[in-house]
This record gives sequence, structure tokens and C-alpha cells, in this order.
Amino acid sequence: MNDTSKVTAISAVNSAVRPPDTAAKITARNVNFYYGKTRALKDVGLVIQEKRVTALIGPSGCGKSTLLRVFNRMYAIYPKQRAEGEILLDGENVLDPRYSINRLRTKVGMVFQKPVPFPMSIYDNVAYALRHYENLSRTAMNDRVEESLKDAALWDEVKDTLNNSALSLSGGQQQRLCIARAIALKPEVLLLDEPTSALDPISTAKVEQLIDELKANYTVLIVTHNMQQAARVSEFTGFMFLGELIEFGITSDMFTHPDHKKTEDYITGRFG
Amino acid sequence: MNRWRRRQLQDYIAKILATLATFFGLFWLTWILWTTASKGLSALKWGLFTQMTPAPGSDGGLLNAFAGSLVMCGVAVLIGTPIGIGAGTYLSEYARDTRLGFTIRFVNDILLSAPSIVIGLFIYELMVRPMGHFSAWAGAVALSFIVLPVVVRTTDEMLQLVPTVMRESALALGVPQWKVVRQVLYRAALSGILTGVLLALARISGETAPVLFTALNNQYWTSNLNQPMANVPVVIFQYALSPFEFWHALAWAGAFVVVIFVLILSLTSRWLVARGQVSV
Repeated sequence: MNDTSKVTAISAVNSAVRPPDTAAKITARNVNFYYGKTRALKDVGLVIQEKRVTALIGPSGCGKSTLLRVFNRMYAIYPKQRAEGEILLDGENVLDPRYSINRLRTKVGMVFQKPVPFPMSIYDNVAYALRHYENLSRTAMNDRVEESLKDAALWDEVKDTLNNSALSLSGGQQQRLCIARAIALKPEVLLLDEPTSALDPISTAKVEQLIDELKANYTVLIVTHNMQQAARVSEFTGFMFLGELIEFGITSDMFTHPDHKKTEDYITGRFG
Repeated sequence: MNRWRRRQLQDYIAKILATLATFFGLFWLTWILWTTASKGLSALKWGLFTQMTPAPGSDGGLLNAFAGSLVMCGVAVLIGTPIGIGAGTYLSEYARDTRLGFTIRFVNDILLSAPSIVIGLFIYELMVRPMGHFSAWAGAVALSFIVLPVVVRTTDEMLQLVPTVMRESALALGVPQWKVVRQVLYRAALSGILTGVLLALARISGETAPVLFTALNNQYWTSNLNQPMANVPVVIFQYALSPFEFWHALAWAGAFVVVIFVLILSLTSRWLVARGQVSV
């Protein structure tokens, strides 16, 4: 019995509708999370498919961002936060303290709600982590920066101003810069924590289009408040409520005929 | 009189009292600055910066005092800044919400407001007595004890002002924390930290008590930090108490130069803060 089928038995994953051509990238089992004594995630289990976009939706405080921050152990910088359970990335449990946190974070990149460029040039923002991990020649570095900015659909707008401060960019450009910065390391998984909630509609459309292009190379997990966005960008959706994963499945199915009453109430706007 | 009229009157009286209080405070401040400027300017001459402190009755300037103050303040900043930035970084990045962090912050605030004469006497006991003589080293160390808490406080506060998400973004790239602090957070907080250092320098350039008990004074030029060294505040103190008119004039000129120096430092730090707000 492989990992995926085991999880199917214990979680809300609906294996019957999962397309057969994709492989499981991340498998979460019995994930519990605590802020001090408060339990914020309750026995969450799900399977994230490789090179697909998976969305997590749910009302404020339901634990969707908390869950996202477990995948790269972002919570570990806060002494009072603690996660239990198993998260298998390609079969290895990343919650195991022996799993190097920095290795994990090069494989699992993250983009936050508020775009925060580092106070340095556009070029240096993208090159920042590369300089730490790879000893690239000047031309190789230039190529990687260009490639990352192209992948983030920002290259054409900044190619002549790479040495300008990143703080001079607009909000939407800053967010795409943050995406470029995250993909410069060539991660396998990209975590997006409400990446468009601080952006105007045009920038949002650009970022959404970008997410669609990113899934060719990356496994994308996106947390969003916006149900239309989840419907537009994702192939799989998980609905969370009060720390539990209520329902998980193919996006189109969930939005047309949800299995649970709670999910239906939420997506039809009865609460949240 | 209805309620509305009464409130209007109360507002009017409060406004007048507040304005009066402001002008009362400003009046003395302006007087002090005016006296310093008028007496200092009339005593200002080129010789002030080229000649040594004179014996009674002869001509002279304050060269050795200016040089001594610059040397001691410089050494104090060189000692206090790295330790202060290190401690401030520890408080903000490694001990922010811990009991130890709160305790250190509290003790640092006490040190921040400690009377400078206490620091002078402390260094006198710690360095001057064991060494057997006054020295510029002791003066610089005493001044560094005033620099230290200012730099700790500003570094701590400026780093705490850096948004959490910037820290998280950098850590999320798998870069170790010490590198994130050095390469991202210091950059974001740079103007604020520099401001703290400049304000600390402004504060010590006029401090008298810590150097009076440690560096004492020296009528002659010395570049040996192991010897007593002349400095502006103590020279002003001694000359102001002397019976000689010429010494009084030199004291005023010295005071005026210190005020201008502090003014320039304050303006520079304001400019830095303004620039920092635009770019972060």
C-alpha cells in the first residue's frame, strides 16, 4: 500500500475523482498545530498533487494560513508554536527535526500576503538567496536572475532598471518580484499566502495568470480568501473550518456540488 | 451660560495655558542660546583652533581641548557602538518576548537615565584608582558607558520596527538567521541605528562629570591616551570658575562650538530619519 492510498483512508481526500496522471508531491497526515496551548489544526490530512495548483479556502481564523506555514516550518521561528504529525515531501517527513530546515526552505518557497522587497536593488533581491546557496559566476548569476524575473512575468518591466531600488516598484510589481525571489532557488513547491489580497484588480489578474504558468514547473499551494480566485486558479481545493479540513477535492466538483453542508454554506456566501 | 459656551471657554483657557507653557519653556532656551551665541561669537577667533590652552595672562586657544574631546568621544563611540548594536540585535532578534529580554531592556533603561556623575565615579573606581592616574582611556570608557545604552535602545527599537514579514520572507528562502540579520535587517534599520549613534555622540560631547573624574584635564597637548587629556567640557568648567576675563571668553567660545557641533549632529540625524522613512 503506498502513501497516497493510506492517507485517502484517513482523510477527506476523494480518491475517486483524482486524475490518475499526477503523483503525490506532499502527503500530510494527522497534522496538529498549537499556538501555545491553543490547538489551531485538528488532525489535518491531505495530498498535494505534483505540478498542480491546490487552493485552501475557508473563513478567517480557520487555520488555512497556519497549515501553509507548516509546510516550510515557518512557525519554527516562534518558540511557542508547535506542529505534530507527518508531512511527507517526496516520502521524507519534513517535520522531523533531523530534516534540515534550510534544505526544506530551498525546496519549498513561500510568498507572503504583503509584498516586502528587501531594501536593496531589484537584481540583488532576486540574487540574494542564490548568493548564499550557489557559487555562480557573474554571467551565470545574470542568467539566473533574468530567468527568474522572466518566469515571474516581470522581466520586461524591469530589465533596464535592475540596479534601482526594489522599493521603487509598484505593489503588483513588488509581489511578482517576491515570486521571482522565491523561484530563483528553483524550489519544487511554492506556497502562496493570499498573494493578491494587497493588490489592485489588474495586478491580481497578472499574478493569477502567472500562477497558471507556474504550475508547469512547480507544485503550487495557495491560500485565498477569495473563492472566485480559488475557482479560477486551482485544480484542487480544500475547505477548512475551525482548524479542520472539512472537504478536499477537485475544484470544479467542490464548487458545483460540495459534499458537506458547511462547504456549501461557505461557498454560497451564507457565512464567512 | 449653556453647556456649549462653557466647553468653548474651557477649550480657550486650555489653549492659552498650553501656549503660555510652551513660550515659558522656549523663553529660557532662547535666552541660553542667545547668550551662548553672542558671548561665544564675540570670542570666536581663528586662534581658538590653532593654539593650546593658555596660562593665565597669556594668549591661547582650545586646540588641545577640542582634540582631546574628539579623541575621547571617538574612542567612546568605537567602543560603545559595536557592543550596543550587538546587544540591541540580541534583544530584538533573539530575546524579543523572553523574560530575560524584558529584564535586560529594563536594566538598560536604568543605565540610559543614570546620572553621568555616577558613571564618572564608577570608572574612577574601576580604572583610575587601580592605574594610579587619570587617563584619556578612562575618560573614553566612561563616555562609552553613556553611548552604550543609547545605541542598545535605538538598535532594539529600529530592528523591531522592521516588519515581521521581511524577516519571514528572508528566512523562508532558507538563509540562516545571522545572515538575514546582517544582510537584510541591518540594511532596513540602518538609518535609524546611525541616528542612535549620532545622538549618543551629541550627548557625550557635552558631558562633563564622566570626564572630570577620569580624564581630568591637561594644559598641554598630548596624544598619549594613557595620560590625562584636555577636553572641552572640563576646560569650560575650569575657565568659567576662574577670575580671568580672557578665560571666560575662551569658555564661551568653547561652549558655542559644542552647541554648533551638537546642532549639526541633530540636523544630520533628522535628515537620516527623514531619508529612511522615504526609502523603507
